[in-house]
Amino acid sequence: MKNLFFIILIFSSIIFSQENNQLVNDNLFSLPNIKKFADYLFCQKDYLRAANEYERILNLVQNDTIEYKIALSYLEMGNFNEASTRFNSITESSSFYKSAQAQSLKLVFQIGDIVKFRSQYLYINSNRAYLDSAGLASLYMFSFLLTEESLPNEDEFVNAFQIAEKNKIRNFYEWKKDFPEKSPLKAAIFSAIIPGAGKIYADEYSDGIYAFIATLAAGYLTYDNFKAGHDFRGWIFSGLAVGFYAGNIYGSAAAVQIYNAHIRFDFVNELKAFLEDKNYFLQVFNFCN
Amino acid sequence: MNNNHFIFKITLAFILSFSFKTIAQTDWIKWNKADYTYRINNLVEKRNYSFDFNNPGRFLLKSLANAYWFFISDVDGDNCSFNPTCSNFFILSVEKTNIVQGTLMFFDRFIRDMNIFGKVNHYPRVLNGHFYDPPSLYILDSDSINYIPPSVVVKNE
Repeated sequence: MKNLFFIILIFSSIIFSQENNQLVNDNLFSLPNIKKFADYLFCQKDYLRAANEYERILNLVQNDTIEYKIALSYLEMGNFNEASTRFNSITESSSFYKSAQAQSLKLVFQIGDIVKFRSQYLYINSNRAYLDSAGLASLYMFSFLLTEESLPNEDEFVNAFQIAEKNKIRNFYEWKKDFPEKSPLKAAIFSAIIPGAGKIYADEYSDGIYAFIATLAAGYLTYDNFKAGHDFRGWIFSGLAVGFYAGNIYGSAAAVQIYNAHIRFDFVNELKAFLEDKNYFLQVFNFCN
Repeated sequence: MNNNHFIFKITLAFILSFSFKTIAQTDWIKWNKADYTYRINNLVEKRNYSFDFNNPGRFLLKSLANAYWFFISDVDGDNCSFNPTCSNFFILSVEKTNIVQGTLMFFDRFIRDMNIFGKVNHYPRVLNGHFYDPPSLYILDSDSINYIPPSVVVKNE
């Protein structure tokens, strides 16, 4: 029994021994191993640690792919300034140069400075042929949707995009062209005719009903108190009735303005979600497959 | 033998008696009693009872508001579901616009406050759960409207 136990013990050490002999024999901090680890972190979307590991490689050797990945890591982390610096540091001799320049310009758009993006794009476009020209042209055209500038011709606008995107783009174009805003003046007039109607026009149904009830109730109490000879109470309720009536006319106009701000907010959010989904129409390098 | 046994017992008792001193916890900061309180943080809107003597209109308005807060609202408790509260909304509206527009804004707010069905999922909330509804949304200047969706909790009012 004892012998059997010792035999099992001796052989178990061989059975469960370290299999990855190469990893044991190699230096864990060798260049290929650091790169392997950094790539793993990058593909696991652990961009902060991936960038740190890639920086370690850059200290040892210059590599444009690593520089590009560092820039992408900062971009994914939302550190736009650092990402922009890193993209701009990629030299013209690199195969990533044009993409990096496009990404750098896209960052201006992503930060929200649409006016600067448009002027920079036009400047670059007029001075030299741009690498990711189709993608940037699409992004430039898309930027019309986020500015107050007048839209170009519909066909010209839609043709700047890929076939698969055209339907969605056409919808955005039409939405922007005939923005479904409501009129504050109309709301005020509606509420002046029927208290609360302007609020209902602004999609504030329960507020509209409450305004109607409050104005009607205060009006009735005014009439009832004056009729009963309670003049003091009559004046109080008449003040309230006038306040509710006028306040509701004013509030209906304000509610429409908030409604318009709401749909503008939703429109911009939808545009941003679409852009994110399409990676801002720029070329994507898949480093993880 | 018995003597040895007795000495062993005494030694053991001696070691046990002092062992709590030798291996006692030294990390006092970590293990000290925590002064915990389970009271909800006081997130109630702070009253500003100050007066402005330079402007007669504002002085009159603030006097009325202070009186209302002191004699009625503070006694009644934290019951207004909005932030800023309706009385504070009135003062802020008048300060932002003028007495006429501010009064209209107040009446509109008053009607919206009466609406017990339309507030949830309509206004964003502040940390104490009140509905965030600043006067800047109602001054009829579309540029001053900063739309915040109801799902957002407003931390910096």
